[in-house]
Amino acid sequence: MELTKNITLGVYLPGETVIHRLDPRTKIVIASLLIFLLLMIKSYPAYGMILLFLTAVIFISGIPIRYALCGLKPMLPVLILMWFFQLFLYSSPDAHVIFSWWIFTATDAGMHMGNLISLRVFFLFGATTILTLTTSMVGLTDGMESLLNPLRKIGLPTQELVMTMVIALRFVLILAEELDKIVKAQMARGVAFDRGNFIQKTKKLFPVFLPLFINAFKRAEELIVAMESRSYTGGKGRTKMKTLHMGRVDLIAGLIMLIFSAIVILIIFTIQPQI
Amino acid sequence: MNLSVRKIVISGILGAISILLGVTRLGFIPVPTPAGHATIMHIPVILGGVLEGPVVGLITGAIFGLFSFLQPGAPFFADPLVSVLPRLFIGVVSYLVYYATRKINNVLACILAGAFGSVTNTVLVLGMATVRGYLPSEVSISIGVLHGVPELIVAAILTVILVKGIQRIRPVEEKN
Repeated sequence: MELTKNITLGVYLPGETVIHRLDPRTKIVIASLLIFLLLMIKSYPAYGMILLFLTAVIFISGIPIRYALCGLKPMLPVLILMWFFQLFLYSSPDAHVIFSWWIFTATDAGMHMGNLISLRVFFLFGATTILTLTTSMVGLTDGMESLLNPLRKIGLPTQELVMTMVIALRFVLILAEELDKIVKAQMARGVAFDRGNFIQKTKKLFPVFLPLFINAFKRAEELIVAMESRSYTGGKGRTKMKTLHMGRVDLIAGLIMLIFSAIVILIIFTIQPQI
Repeated sequence: MNLSVRKIVISGILGAISILLGVTRLGFIPVPTPAGHATIMHIPVILGGVLEGPVVGLITGAIFGLFSFLQPGAPFFADPLVSVLPRLFIGVVSYLVYYATRKINNVLACILAGAFGSVTNTVLVLGMATVRGYLPSEVSISIGVLHGVPELIVAAILTVILVKGIQRIRPVEEKN
Protein backbone atom coordinates (compact mmCIF):
# COMPACT_ATOMS: atom_id res chain seq x y z
CA MET A 1 0.00 0.00 0.00
CA GLU A 2 2.13 2.83 -1.30
CA LEU A 3 0.16 5.99 -0.68
CA THR A 4 2.61 8.70 -1.62
CA LYS A 5 3.74 7.24 -4.93
CA ASN A 6 1.07 8.69 -7.20
CA ILE A 7 0.95 12.21 -5.82
CA THR A 8 1.94 14.70 -8.49
CA LEU A 9 0.08 17.68 -7.06
CA GLY A 10 2.42 20.20 -5.49
CA VAL A 11 5.51 18.52 -6.92
CA TYR A 12 7.86 20.72 -8.93
CA LEU A 13 10.19 19.30 -11.57
CA PRO A 14 12.97 21.85 -12.03
CA GLY A 15 14.05 22.55 -15.58
CA GLU A 16 15.48 25.14 -17.93
CA THR A 17 12.94 25.06 -20.75
CA VAL A 18 10.92 27.99 -22.10
CA ILE A 19 7.89 26.83 -20.14
CA HIS A 20 9.87 26.86 -16.90
CA ARG A 21 11.26 30.32 -17.61
CA LEU A 22 7.88 31.91 -18.29
CA ASP A 23 6.70 34.39 -15.70
CA PRO A 24 4.48 32.54 -13.21
CA ARG A 25 1.76 35.12 -13.79
CA THR A 26 1.68 34.29 -17.50
CA LYS A 27 1.42 30.60 -16.69
CA ILE A 28 -1.36 31.08 -14.15
CA VAL A 29 -3.35 33.26 -16.54
CA ILE A 30 -2.90 30.78 -19.39
CA ALA A 31 -3.93 27.87 -17.17
CA SER A 32 -7.00 29.74 -15.93
CA LEU A 33 -7.98 30.64 -19.49
CA LEU A 34 -7.58 27.01 -20.49
CA ILE A 35 -9.80 25.88 -17.60
CA PHE A 36 -12.37 28.48 -18.57
CA LEU A 37 -12.34 27.24 -22.17
CA LEU A 38 -12.67 23.65 -20.97
CA LEU A 39 -15.87 24.54 -19.14
CA MET A 40 -17.47 25.87 -22.32
CA ILE A 41 -16.39 23.14 -24.72
CA LYS A 42 -19.08 20.73 -25.85
CA SER A 43 -17.67 19.16 -29.02
CA TYR A 44 -14.88 16.77 -29.95
CA PRO A 45 -12.89 19.00 -32.36
CA ALA A 46 -12.45 21.62 -29.63
CA TYR A 47 -11.14 18.95 -27.26
CA GLY A 48 -8.79 17.89 -30.05
CA MET A 49 -7.36 21.42 -30.07
CA ILE A 50 -6.85 21.32 -26.30
CA LEU A 51 -5.16 17.94 -26.60
CA LEU A 52 -2.84 19.36 -29.23
CA PHE A 53 -2.03 22.35 -27.04
CA LEU A 54 -1.33 20.35 -23.88
CA THR A 55 0.74 17.77 -25.75
CA ALA A 56 2.84 20.58 -27.22
CA VAL A 57 3.34 22.11 -23.77
CA ILE A 58 4.31 18.76 -22.24
CA PHE A 59 6.71 18.14 -25.12
CA ILE A 60 8.38 21.57 -24.84
CA SER A 61 8.63 21.45 -21.05
CA GLY A 62 10.25 18.01 -21.13
CA ILE A 63 8.01 16.50 -18.44
CA PRO A 64 7.97 12.71 -18.73
CA ILE A 65 4.43 11.97 -19.97
CA ARG A 66 4.24 8.82 -17.89
CA TYR A 67 4.97 10.86 -14.77
CA ALA A 68 2.45 13.55 -15.62
CA LEU A 69 -0.27 10.94 -16.03
CA CYS A 70 0.48 8.78 -13.00
CA GLY A 71 -1.60 11.02 -10.73
CA LEU A 72 -4.59 10.02 -12.81
CA LYS A 73 -4.14 6.32 -12.14
CA PRO A 74 -6.01 6.07 -8.83
CA MET A 75 -8.97 7.92 -10.36
CA LEU A 76 -9.32 5.65 -13.37
CA PRO A 77 -11.75 3.07 -11.92
CA VAL A 78 -14.15 5.81 -10.81
CA LEU A 79 -13.90 7.55 -14.16
CA ILE A 80 -14.71 4.38 -16.07
CA LEU A 81 -17.59 3.59 -13.72
CA MET A 82 -18.98 7.10 -14.10
CA TRP A 83 -18.72 6.82 -17.88
CA PHE A 84 -21.03 3.80 -17.80
CA PHE A 85 -23.22 5.65 -15.37
CA GLN A 86 -23.67 8.51 -17.83
CA LEU A 87 -24.12 6.07 -20.71
CA PHE A 88 -27.11 4.35 -19.15
CA LEU A 89 -28.71 7.13 -17.18
CA TYR A 90 -28.45 10.27 -19.23
CA SER A 91 -30.83 10.65 -22.10
CA SER A 92 -32.56 13.37 -24.05
CA PRO A 93 -35.86 13.12 -25.93
CA ASP A 94 -34.34 12.85 -29.43
CA ALA A 95 -31.58 10.42 -28.51
CA HIS A 96 -30.96 7.29 -30.56
CA VAL A 97 -30.87 4.05 -28.65
CA ILE A 98 -27.65 2.14 -29.26
CA PHE A 99 -28.72 -1.00 -27.47
CA SER A 100 -30.98 -1.94 -24.63
CA TRP A 101 -30.95 -4.96 -22.38
CA TRP A 102 -33.20 -5.63 -19.42
CA ILE A 103 -33.52 -2.26 -17.61
CA PHE A 104 -30.39 -0.78 -19.20
CA THR A 105 -30.77 1.45 -22.19
CA ALA A 106 -27.71 3.05 -23.73
CA THR A 107 -28.31 6.11 -25.88
CA ASP A 108 -25.90 8.04 -28.05
CA ALA A 109 -26.66 11.19 -26.03
CA GLY A 110 -25.55 9.36 -22.90
CA MET A 111 -22.38 8.18 -24.59
CA HIS A 112 -21.48 11.68 -25.79
CA MET A 113 -22.22 13.11 -22.35
CA GLY A 114 -20.00 10.48 -20.76
CA ASN A 115 -17.21 11.05 -23.28
CA LEU A 116 -17.26 14.82 -23.06
CA ILE A 117 -17.36 14.96 -19.29
CA SER A 118 -14.59 12.37 -18.94
CA LEU A 119 -12.47 14.34 -21.41
CA ARG A 120 -13.08 17.48 -19.40
CA VAL A 121 -11.93 15.73 -16.22
CA PHE A 122 -8.84 14.46 -18.00
CA PHE A 123 -7.85 17.86 -19.37
CA LEU A 124 -8.61 19.75 -16.16
CA PHE A 125 -6.32 17.35 -14.42
CA GLY A 126 -3.69 17.76 -17.13
CA ALA A 127 -3.75 21.56 -17.10
CA THR A 128 -3.33 21.89 -13.33
CA THR A 129 -0.71 19.16 -13.12
CA ILE A 130 1.41 20.75 -15.84
CA LEU A 131 1.15 24.14 -14.11
CA THR A 132 2.36 22.82 -10.75
CA LEU A 133 5.02 20.57 -12.29
CA THR A 134 6.67 23.43 -14.15
CA THR A 135 6.27 26.24 -11.61
CA SER A 136 8.04 26.39 -8.27
CA MET A 137 6.01 26.99 -5.14
CA VAL A 138 7.60 30.40 -4.63
CA GLY A 139 6.78 31.29 -8.22
CA LEU A 140 3.17 30.22 -7.82
CA THR A 141 2.82 32.21 -4.61
CA ASP A 142 4.35 35.38 -6.01
CA GLY A 143 2.36 35.06 -9.20
CA MET A 144 -0.97 34.56 -7.45
CA GLU A 145 -0.31 37.35 -4.96
CA SER A 146 0.56 39.72 -7.74
CA LEU A 147 -2.46 38.74 -9.85
CA LEU A 148 -4.91 38.99 -6.96
CA ASN A 149 -3.47 42.26 -5.68
CA PRO A 150 -6.25 44.45 -7.14
CA LEU A 151 -8.75 42.56 -4.96
CA ARG A 152 -7.05 43.91 -1.84
CA LYS A 153 -8.61 47.26 -2.62
CA ILE A 154 -12.08 45.88 -1.94
CA GLY A 155 -10.92 44.44 1.37
CA LEU A 156 -10.16 40.81 0.51
CA PRO A 157 -7.10 39.51 2.39
CA THR A 158 -5.62 38.07 -0.80
CA GLN A 159 -2.07 37.62 0.48
CA GLU A 160 -3.32 35.65 3.46
CA LEU A 161 -5.56 33.50 1.28
CA VAL A 162 -2.67 32.74 -1.06
CA MET A 163 -0.58 31.83 1.99
CA THR A 164 -3.34 29.41 3.04
CA MET A 165 -3.31 27.76 -0.39
CA VAL A 166 0.46 27.46 -0.27
CA ILE A 167 0.41 25.89 3.20
CA ALA A 168 -2.23 23.45 1.96
CA LEU A 169 -0.18 22.44 -1.10
CA ARG A 170 3.04 22.17 0.90
CA PHE A 171 1.52 20.09 3.64
CA VAL A 172 -0.06 17.56 1.29
CA LEU A 173 3.31 15.91 0.78
CA ILE A 174 4.42 16.28 4.41
CA LEU A 175 1.19 14.78 5.70
CA ALA A 176 1.33 12.07 3.03
CA GLU A 177 4.60 10.83 4.49
CA GLU A 178 3.08 10.99 7.95
CA LEU A 179 0.05 9.04 6.76
CA ASP A 180 2.31 6.44 5.19
CA LYS A 181 4.08 5.96 8.51
CA ILE A 182 0.82 5.66 10.44
CA VAL A 183 -0.63 3.16 7.99
CA LYS A 184 2.54 1.06 8.10
CA ALA A 185 2.62 1.21 11.89
CA GLN A 186 -0.96 -0.01 12.08
CA MET A 187 -0.25 -2.73 9.54
CA ALA A 188 2.69 -3.85 11.64
CA ARG A 189 0.25 -4.19 14.52
CA GLY A 190 -1.81 -6.52 12.39
CA VAL A 191 -4.50 -4.30 10.86
CA ALA A 192 -5.45 -5.67 7.43
CA PHE A 193 -6.79 -2.62 5.60
CA ASP A 194 -7.96 -4.45 2.52
CA ARG A 195 -10.06 -7.09 4.25
CA GLY A 196 -13.56 -7.13 5.63
CA ASN A 197 -16.88 -5.70 4.57
CA PHE A 198 -17.79 -2.04 4.31
CA ILE A 199 -18.32 -1.49 8.04
CA GLN A 200 -15.18 -3.35 9.09
CA LYS A 201 -13.13 -1.43 6.53
CA THR A 202 -14.50 1.88 7.75
CA LYS A 203 -13.78 0.99 11.36
CA LYS A 204 -10.14 0.38 10.46
CA LEU A 205 -9.86 3.97 9.28
CA PHE A 206 -10.43 5.42 12.75
CA PRO A 207 -7.01 4.41 14.18
CA VAL A 208 -5.44 6.05 11.12
CA PHE A 209 -7.44 9.26 11.20
CA LEU A 210 -6.99 10.17 14.83
CA PRO A 211 -3.15 10.17 14.81
CA LEU A 212 -3.16 11.90 11.41
CA PHE A 213 -5.32 14.79 12.61
CA ILE A 214 -3.60 15.05 16.01
CA ASN A 215 -0.18 15.21 14.36
CA ALA A 216 -1.45 17.73 11.82
CA PHE A 217 -2.75 19.97 14.59
CA LYS A 218 0.52 19.66 16.51
CA ARG A 219 2.35 20.75 13.39
CA ALA A 220 -0.12 23.58 12.95
CA GLU A 221 0.55 24.86 16.47
CA GLU A 222 4.30 24.74 15.80
CA LEU A 223 3.88 26.58 12.54
CA ILE A 224 1.71 29.24 14.20
CA VAL A 225 4.40 29.88 16.82
CA ALA A 226 7.09 29.95 14.16
CA MET A 227 5.20 32.43 12.00
CA GLU A 228 4.14 34.65 14.87
CA SER A 229 7.63 34.78 16.32
CA ARG A 230 8.84 36.01 12.93
CA SER A 231 6.12 38.67 13.02
CA TYR A 232 4.20 37.47 9.99
CA THR A 233 1.57 40.08 9.26
CA GLY A 234 0.26 39.02 5.89
CA GLY A 235 0.34 41.48 3.05
CA LYS A 236 0.76 44.84 4.74
CA GLY A 237 3.94 46.58 3.64
CA ARG A 238 5.75 43.46 2.55
CA THR A 239 8.44 43.76 -0.06
CA LYS A 240 10.09 41.07 -2.17
CA MET A 241 13.75 40.29 -2.65
CA LYS A 242 13.04 38.91 -6.12
CA THR A 243 10.40 40.78 -8.07
CA LEU A 244 8.67 39.32 -11.09
CA HIS A 245 9.44 40.63 -14.55
CA MET A 246 7.62 39.94 -17.77
CA GLY A 247 9.86 39.38 -20.77
CA ARG A 248 9.59 38.79 -24.48
CA VAL A 249 8.87 35.08 -23.92
CA ASP A 250 5.79 36.03 -21.95
CA LEU A 251 4.59 38.30 -24.72
CA ILE A 252 4.99 35.50 -27.27
CA ALA A 253 3.29 32.98 -24.97
CA GLY A 254 0.45 35.41 -24.41
CA LEU A 255 0.03 35.94 -28.14
CA ILE A 256 0.03 32.20 -28.81
CA MET A 257 -2.59 31.69 -26.11
CA LEU A 258 -4.68 34.53 -27.53
CA ILE A 259 -4.68 33.00 -31.02
CA PHE A 260 -5.36 29.56 -29.58
CA SER A 261 -8.31 30.81 -27.50
CA ALA A 262 -9.71 32.59 -30.53
CA ILE A 263 -9.58 29.37 -32.56
CA VAL A 264 -11.19 27.34 -29.78
CA ILE A 265 -13.93 29.92 -29.27
CA LEU A 266 -14.52 29.94 -33.02
CA ILE A 267 -14.87 26.14 -32.93
CA ILE A 268 -17.19 26.36 -29.95
CA PHE A 269 -19.51 28.72 -31.79
CA THR A 270 -19.39 27.18 -35.25
CA ILE A 271 -19.47 23.44 -34.63
CA GLN A 272 -22.71 21.84 -33.54
CA PRO A 273 -22.33 20.74 -29.91
CA GLN A 274 -22.65 17.02 -29.22
CA ILE A 275 -24.93 17.49 -26.25
CA MET B 1 -11.05 41.93 6.82
CA ASN B 2 -8.08 40.48 8.62
CA LEU B 3 -7.00 36.88 8.94
CA SER B 4 -4.98 35.87 11.97
CA VAL B 5 -1.94 33.63 11.57
CA ARG B 6 -3.88 30.92 13.44
CA LYS B 7 -6.72 31.01 10.95
CA ILE B 8 -4.34 30.95 7.96
CA VAL B 9 -2.35 27.98 9.25
CA ILE B 10 -5.26 25.88 10.47
CA SER B 11 -7.27 26.33 7.27
CA GLY B 12 -4.18 25.53 5.22
CA ILE B 13 -3.43 22.33 7.08
CA LEU B 14 -7.04 21.15 7.14
CA GLY B 15 -7.20 21.88 3.42
CA ALA B 16 -4.07 19.80 2.99
CA ILE B 17 -5.66 16.85 4.79
CA SER B 18 -8.71 17.14 2.58
CA ILE B 19 -6.55 17.12 -0.57
CA LEU B 20 -4.50 14.24 0.84
CA LEU B 21 -7.61 12.13 1.44
CA GLY B 22 -8.51 12.80 -2.17
CA VAL B 23 -5.19 12.00 -3.84
CA THR B 24 -4.58 8.86 -1.81
CA ARG B 25 -8.20 7.71 -2.27
CA LEU B 26 -8.23 7.15 1.50
CA GLY B 27 -11.12 9.58 1.75
CA PHE B 28 -13.34 7.28 -0.27
CA ILE B 29 -15.15 4.56 1.57
CA PRO B 30 -16.12 1.71 -0.73
CA VAL B 31 -19.90 1.45 -0.57
CA PRO B 32 -21.66 -1.18 -2.63
CA THR B 33 -23.54 1.19 -4.96
CA PRO B 34 -23.31 2.03 -8.66
CA ALA B 35 -21.35 5.21 -8.01
CA GLY B 36 -18.77 3.33 -5.99
CA HIS B 37 -17.65 5.52 -3.13
CA ALA B 38 -18.90 7.47 -0.21
CA THR B 39 -16.59 10.33 0.69
CA ILE B 40 -15.15 11.53 3.96
CA MET B 41 -13.10 14.30 2.36
CA HIS B 42 -15.42 16.88 3.90
CA ILE B 43 -14.53 15.92 7.49
CA PRO B 44 -11.62 18.41 7.68
CA VAL B 45 -14.03 21.14 6.60
CA ILE B 46 -16.49 20.20 9.36
CA LEU B 47 -13.61 20.21 11.86
CA GLY B 48 -12.50 23.62 10.65
CA GLY B 49 -15.98 25.00 11.27
CA VAL B 50 -16.35 23.36 14.67
CA LEU B 51 -12.88 24.10 16.04
CA GLU B 52 -12.03 27.48 14.51
CA GLY B 53 -15.25 29.10 13.42
CA PRO B 54 -17.02 29.96 10.19
CA VAL B 55 -14.12 31.72 8.43
CA VAL B 56 -11.81 28.71 8.68
CA GLY B 57 -14.71 26.45 7.71
CA LEU B 58 -15.35 28.60 4.65
CA ILE B 59 -11.70 28.72 3.52
CA THR B 60 -11.16 24.99 4.09
CA GLY B 61 -14.35 24.32 2.16
CA ALA B 62 -13.07 26.50 -0.67
CA ILE B 63 -9.76 24.58 -0.80
CA PHE B 64 -11.62 21.26 -0.76
CA GLY B 65 -13.95 22.48 -3.50
CA LEU B 66 -11.16 23.88 -5.66
CA PHE B 67 -9.25 20.64 -5.37
CA SER B 68 -12.21 18.50 -6.32
CA PHE B 69 -12.82 20.83 -9.26
CA LEU B 70 -9.23 20.81 -10.55
CA GLN B 71 -8.54 17.13 -9.92
CA PRO B 72 -12.07 15.74 -10.20
CA GLY B 73 -12.88 12.32 -8.77
CA ALA B 74 -16.19 12.10 -10.59
CA PRO B 75 -17.07 13.71 -13.92
CA PHE B 76 -19.78 16.04 -12.67
CA PHE B 77 -17.27 17.68 -10.31
CA ALA B 78 -15.62 19.22 -13.37
CA ASP B 79 -18.02 22.14 -12.96
CA PRO B 80 -17.29 24.77 -10.30
CA LEU B 81 -20.99 25.24 -9.58
CA VAL B 82 -21.17 21.61 -8.45
CA SER B 83 -17.76 21.22 -6.86
CA VAL B 84 -16.84 24.59 -5.30
CA LEU B 85 -20.04 26.45 -4.45
CA PRO B 86 -21.80 23.79 -2.29
CA ARG B 87 -18.60 23.12 -0.34
CA LEU B 88 -18.48 26.68 0.97
CA PHE B 89 -21.51 25.99 3.12
CA ILE B 90 -20.31 22.81 4.89
CA GLY B 91 -18.05 24.53 7.41
CA VAL B 92 -20.47 27.38 8.05
CA VAL B 93 -23.39 25.03 8.70
CA SER B 94 -21.27 22.85 11.02
CA TYR B 95 -20.17 25.93 12.92
CA LEU B 96 -23.72 27.21 13.35
CA VAL B 97 -25.02 23.82 14.50
CA TYR B 98 -22.11 23.32 16.88
CA TYR B 99 -22.43 26.73 18.48
CA ALA B 100 -26.19 26.49 18.78
CA THR B 101 -26.07 23.16 20.60
CA ARG B 102 -22.79 23.06 22.47
CA LYS B 103 -24.32 24.63 25.59
CA ILE B 104 -26.39 21.45 25.95
CA ASN B 105 -23.60 18.91 25.54
CA ASN B 106 -20.27 19.01 23.73
CA VAL B 107 -20.48 15.44 22.42
CA LEU B 108 -24.02 15.88 21.16
CA ALA B 109 -23.03 19.15 19.50
CA CYS B 110 -20.15 17.40 17.69
CA ILE B 111 -22.43 14.61 16.49
CA LEU B 112 -24.99 17.09 15.20
CA ALA B 113 -22.35 19.31 13.60
CA GLY B 114 -20.81 16.33 11.81
CA ALA B 115 -24.19 15.05 10.68
CA PHE B 116 -25.48 18.41 9.46
CA GLY B 117 -22.19 19.24 7.73
CA SER B 118 -22.33 15.93 5.91
CA VAL B 119 -25.97 16.38 4.91
CA THR B 120 -25.15 19.87 3.60
CA ASN B 121 -22.48 18.37 1.37
CA THR B 122 -24.66 15.53 0.08
CA VAL B 123 -27.80 17.56 -0.55
CA LEU B 124 -26.16 20.63 -2.10
CA VAL B 125 -23.72 18.73 -4.34
CA LEU B 126 -26.29 16.28 -5.65
CA GLY B 127 -28.88 19.04 -5.89
CA MET B 128 -26.48 21.13 -7.99
CA ALA B 129 -25.57 18.10 -10.14
CA THR B 130 -29.27 17.56 -10.81
CA VAL B 131 -29.97 21.21 -11.53
CA ARG B 132 -27.03 21.36 -13.95
CA GLY B 133 -28.34 18.24 -15.68
CA TYR B 134 -25.56 15.75 -14.96
CA LEU B 135 -27.79 13.34 -13.09
CA PRO B 136 -31.49 12.56 -13.38
CA SER B 137 -33.32 13.35 -10.16
CA GLU B 138 -34.23 9.74 -9.29
CA VAL B 139 -30.57 8.79 -9.51
CA SER B 140 -29.52 11.71 -7.31
CA ILE B 141 -32.02 10.73 -4.68
CA SER B 142 -30.88 7.12 -4.62
CA ILE B 143 -27.22 8.16 -4.48
CA GLY B 144 -28.15 10.63 -1.78
CA VAL B 145 -29.68 7.92 0.37
CA LEU B 146 -27.13 5.19 -0.38
CA HIS B 147 -24.12 7.47 0.08
CA GLY B 148 -25.50 10.19 2.27
CA VAL B 149 -26.48 7.90 5.12
CA PRO B 150 -23.14 6.08 5.56
CA GLU B 151 -21.34 9.40 5.04
CA LEU B 152 -23.49 10.99 7.71
CA ILE B 153 -22.82 8.20 10.23
CA VAL B 154 -19.07 8.14 9.60
CA ALA B 155 -18.88 11.95 9.69
CA ALA B 156 -20.77 12.12 12.99
CA ILE B 157 -18.57 9.49 14.67
CA LEU B 158 -15.31 10.89 13.28
CA THR B 159 -16.21 14.44 14.26
CA VAL B 160 -16.74 13.43 17.89
CA ILE B 161 -13.54 11.39 18.07
CA LEU B 162 -11.41 13.99 16.32
CA VAL B 163 -12.79 17.06 18.07
CA LYS B 164 -12.37 15.40 21.47
CA GLY B 165 -8.83 14.33 20.61
CA ILE B 166 -7.78 17.68 19.22
CA GLN B 167 -9.38 19.72 22.01
CA ARG B 168 -7.29 17.74 24.45
CA ILE B 169 -3.94 18.69 22.87
CA ARG B 170 -4.69 22.31 22.06
CA PRO B 171 -3.06 24.90 24.33
CA VAL B 172 -5.63 27.71 24.13
CA GLU B 173 -8.76 25.63 24.11
CA GLU B 174 -12.03 26.98 25.53
CA LYS B 175 -10.59 30.39 26.34
CA ASN B 176 -13.37 32.37 24.79
